[in-house]
Amino acid sequence: MSLMSRSHWTLTALVLAILVSMPLLLPDFWLSGILGRSLIYGIVALSITFLASYGGFISLAQTMLAGIAGYTVAILAPTAIPASQSAVSYWLAMPLAVLAATLAGAVVGLIAIRTRDIYLLMITLALAVGFSLFAQSNIDWFNGYEGIRNVVGPELFGQPFRAHTVFYYVSLTLAALLYLMVLYVVRTPFGLVLQGIRDNPRRVAALGFDVAVHRIAAFAMAGFIAGCGGVLITFYNIGITPGSIGMTATVNVLVMSVIGGLGHPVGAFIGAVIFTLIDTFAATIYDRDRFNTLIGLVFLGIVVASPDGVLGLGKRLAGRGKRKDAGDGGTPH
Amino acid sequence: MLDTTTRKGRTEAAAPTDAATPALVTENVARSFGALKAVSNVSITIAPGERRAILGPNGAGKTTLFNTICGDHPPTAGRILLFGEDITHLQPHRRARLGIGRTYQSSLLFTGLSVLENLYLAVRGAMPGRLSLWKAGHGDPALAKARRLAEQVRVDTIAGARIDSISHGQRRQVEVGMALASDPRLLMLDEPAAGLSAAERPELVKLIRDLPRELTLILIEHDMDVALPNSDKVTVMKDGEVVVESTPDRIADDPLVQAIYLGGEH
Ligand SMILES: Nc1ncnc2c1ncn2[C@@H]1O[C@H](COP(=O)(O)OP(=O)(O)OP(=O)(O)O)[C@@H](O)[C@H]1O
Ligand SMILES: [Mg+2]
Repeated sequence: MSLMSRSHWTLTALVLAILVSMPLLLPDFWLSGILGRSLIYGIVALSITFLASYGGFISLAQTMLAGIAGYTVAILAPTAIPASQSAVSYWLAMPLAVLAATLAGAVVGLIAIRTRDIYLLMITLALAVGFSLFAQSNIDWFNGYEGIRNVVGPELFGQPFRAHTVFYYVSLTLAALLYLMVLYVVRTPFGLVLQGIRDNPRRVAALGFDVAVHRIAAFAMAGFIAGCGGVLITFYNIGITPGSIGMTATVNVLVMSVIGGLGHPVGAFIGAVIFTLIDTFAATIYDRDRFNTLIGLVFLGIVVASPDGVLGLGKRLAGRGKRKDAGDGGTPH
Repeated sequence: MLDTTTRKGRTEAAAPTDAATPALVTENVARSFGALKAVSNVSITIAPGERRAILGPNGAGKTTLFNTICGDHPPTAGRILLFGEDITHLQPHRRARLGIGRTYQSSLLFTGLSVLENLYLAVRGAMPGRLSLWKAGHGDPALAKARRLAEQVRVDTIAGARIDSISHGQRRQVEVGMALASDPRLLMLDEPAAGLSAAERPELVKLIRDLPRELTLILIEHDMDVALPNSDKVTVMKDGEVVVESTPDRIADDPLVQAIYLGGEH
């Protein structure tokens, strides 16, 4: 059972090598403002893609879960403004934040236990909007509309977390680890059962697996991934506000996943890069209001041209050149 | 005294059963879908090791009876006992863990996974550690068992192929392999030969014939040539009810069966 074919490994290693050498080539703005930002939002998108690709669940609660991690780390942050009574070290706050997102993910899975498709979308969207409204109205913990500022993150190697190179390498490392974790997990019994649930939940139960438990565990794992992204996003934005986890943010991350392609985890990062590029440069060309129109058109264009995103488009173009060799159809053992 | 201990001392793991305990009892089992009575008043007793064929025209309720037993559509009335244990209200995965294996009339496989992965999952379903995050290594006994199953149902040559790339006949064989993976005490096959070509049929019949003798088997089959040689007893259903219960050698002469099968049936 290998995770990927040899050519996939070669490609992955090549892309990683290029990404690792980027600080030598790119100016700081590109490093953290484009690539780093793509990586951290890509992590949240990865949690959507993981659930969609292997479980067949489209969850709109992932930005909320990232937000739960973000608020947790912000509330516990030693540097936060307004200063918190419950401040601890960043090194404790970060794992607690990810733990909170993991548990919250399990709760989302529990609440959505019997729903699929459009109903799952509705219920997770309702949770996301509900949480954002709650954060907006709660002053004691969440500081309401203004949110929590100055969450700068810990120092690493004697440098502030937000130093371009530090931030970039941390994001890249975490993104790569989470990506590889997903590829590994989907080959374990747990991951295979998840794909079984996607293909045929009835059969999964008939084999002796408790579908409900597996679903909750999958949502918990997706919460873990989103939580890692949420902590980094909060450091990147130097704080967190209800607006940053609201409806727009939720849809944005979904758009990233869909543009990239829900068929494979790498789609999350491809989508995040495309989204970030458009977001950054369209806003300088057009005024801000037209951005949503543009991203909407790009979204529509890609989805119409290829329902499985850029990834599917690439595959189809490659397939036109040469027929996929029959042996490549997935021989994981 | 002995009686009470067996009843109270039963645990989830297969408790020893004496030969007198039937493998399966359905007591007045019924299942309705809205106003439609798909199964009504079915009482069947199957002895351990028995091979039972269930015949009947389309819509007779044969598949629905399977669904009440495996828990996909629990009965709306009546009781079901598996080796003496009341399973009427258990969830499907609990029933599977008690030793029920089944196949489906139209294959329900994991189309996005390979043949070997399908079988591997089926093996893991009967083992502890169902949420395991350890990938199967080369020495994994479950993987070895999945490979043996692939040989047993003769799909070892296509073990790496994805389900959506293999033939209908091969899928039927994987179906049986998956049902066998848990070493079930009760195996239920729902028209295992359905849709097979004349060339593919003998392969499957042989597969059924080669099943271990001690396995209790219920076989739904339209084709009398497949059903009769492979059964000790035959139950005929019509309109949700059992209409005849007999032995294979006498069933063909039964006037009711003749009326059903020779009068109108394909
Ligand atoms: N899930 C369901 N919902 C509603 N009606 C159902 C359902 N399953 C079965 N039925 C109905 O119950 C009746 C019995 O169906 P069943 O599939 O058990 O028959 P069968 O004997 O297996 O027939 P066949 O030989 O065609 O497989 C049919 O009228 C069928 O339409
Ligand atoms: Mg049927």
